[in-house]
Amino acid sequence: MNSLYEIILVEDNLSDAELTIRAFKKNNIANPLLHLKDGEEALEYVFGTGKYAGRNIHEMPKVILLDLKMPKVGGLDVLKKIKSNEITKIIPVVLLTSSKQDKDILEGYQFGANSYIVKPVGFENFVKAISDVGLYWLLGNQTPK
Amino acid sequence: MNSRPKILIVDDKPENLVVLERVLRDMNVELVKALSGNEALKATLHHNFALALLDIQMPEMDGYELAGILREEEKTNHLPFIFISAVYTDNLNVFKGYEKGAFSFITKPFQPEILINKVKFFVEKHQQEIELLQLNEDLVSKNRDLEDSNKALDSFSYSVSHDLRAPLRALSGYSKILEEDYVSLLDDEGKRVLNLIQHNAEKMGTLIDDLLMFSRLGKKNVQKTTINMAEIVDTVLTEIKQSRPYKANVKIKALPFADADQTLIQQVWFNLIENAIKYSGKTDNAEVEIGSFQSGKALTYYVKDNGAGFNMDYVDKLFGVFQRLHGTDEFEGTGIGLAIVQRIINKHGGEIWAEAKIKEGATFFFTLPIN
Repeated sequence: MNSLYEIILVEDNLSDAELTIRAFKKNNIANPLLHLKDGEEALEYVFGTGKYAGRNIHEMPKVILLDLKMPKVGGLDVLKKIKSNEITKIIPVVLLTSSKQDKDILEGYQFGANSYIVKPVGFENFVKAISDVGLYWLLGNQTPK
Repeated sequence: MNSRPKILIVDDKPENLVVLERVLRDMNVELVKALSGNEALKATLHHNFALALLDIQMPEMDGYELAGILREEEKTNHLPFIFISAVYTDNLNVFKGYEKGAFSFITKPFQPEILINKVKFFVEKHQQEIELLQLNEDLVSKNRDLEDSNKALDSFSYSVSHDLRAPLRALSGYSKILEEDYVSLLDDEGKRVLNLIQHNAEKMGTLIDDLLMFSRLGKKNVQKTTINMAEIVDTVLTEIKQSRPYKANVKIKALPFADADQTLIQQVWFNLIENAIKYSGKTDNAEVEIGSFQSGKALTYYVKDNGAGFNMDYVDKLFGVFQRLHGTDEFEGTGIGLAIVQRIINKHGGEIWAEAKIKEGATFFFTLPIN
């Protein structure tokens, strides 16, 4: 069941993506990570269509980090599709947002989001979100608490 | 709208119409004559009348029947009538739809002044109704405009909070990389400049947060419950201590419970106490006093410090957005904090004011109404 990629980062802003990836590396999280640049790509990956046609969708990432505000297909739409599919709904999804006041966060929880992170992706922020979804020990080199 | 009000006069005898015309000739009205019920109905198709004067005894269709028909028609169902009849009757309820609108009754022969007075009364009433209708339409359209600009403001704040923050994040993030990975390549001046970039990015972040909070307050509803002021002040002090270690001696006096919105009032205390600590930060033996007193139908709370104070000449500017009485080199700040405080207190129906003396300190008071 091991997926090639354990962390899927869906982020249209390249600077944000670079800084997020750096935050992982800085904190010894070296799990294979795939950066997808918009919601459409995310859906194609998760459901094995389009560019990712034929991918075994039972090979699931350990976590999807999903930006809320993206062109074409937004984060909430991606979330809804992932969480309303019997196979994919077990994948933990952590929302990335610019503001903790974002009303989309609340809506995100209603659609089954597991946690959220307010950018910038400070490590403390990240640790908290990852422990919220119970994945900390899977992703880090650290021993489980 | 400014044309003369129209009056429909109906009588089967032309000489009676002439009499009515003569009586009403000095009034600023336009008379439309009809010699039968049918003619009258036709006239209502082409005109909007303020009033109808109806003879009761007419062949074919009498005045009551005509009035009944007019009441059924949408265009005329609120048209007031004055019935004119040679025989007095107190049984005016005989016409259909009598309950729907105003009407009156005059017996022939009539005193011209009485008719004129009645006509005046109805015409004035008609004009008031038109004005009211116009006002109402204006209100509806203004309301729609307000809703539109509210929506525009909403999407503006959304855009500010998301799109303005993104480049700022990159700015902070990449300067952090410089700091972490390349600091050995920088001399002291380079480090100073880098520090300033980070500091200013942070400042802009605060500015965006404050502005957003201020604009969000505009439409936030106040949710009043009984709140424990002493507890809130305690929480706020702990929070401030974590982000800004201070040396001021903070004295808390009795703080009665209040009926107010917990989250909003917490913000008020935070801003006022943080200010007091900030502006007394350069004073030896800095002291901040937090207390309250009751005055009539309101509770007054205050935060007093012995810090930098300000010149009372500029007190009007104190609560304006982006208004500051100190330079940022002297004391940091975005100039929005007190505007937020004022907005919250106003929303509670309270008042806020300040007293100060340069270099001796400032006291901020706010009141909350007692239920």
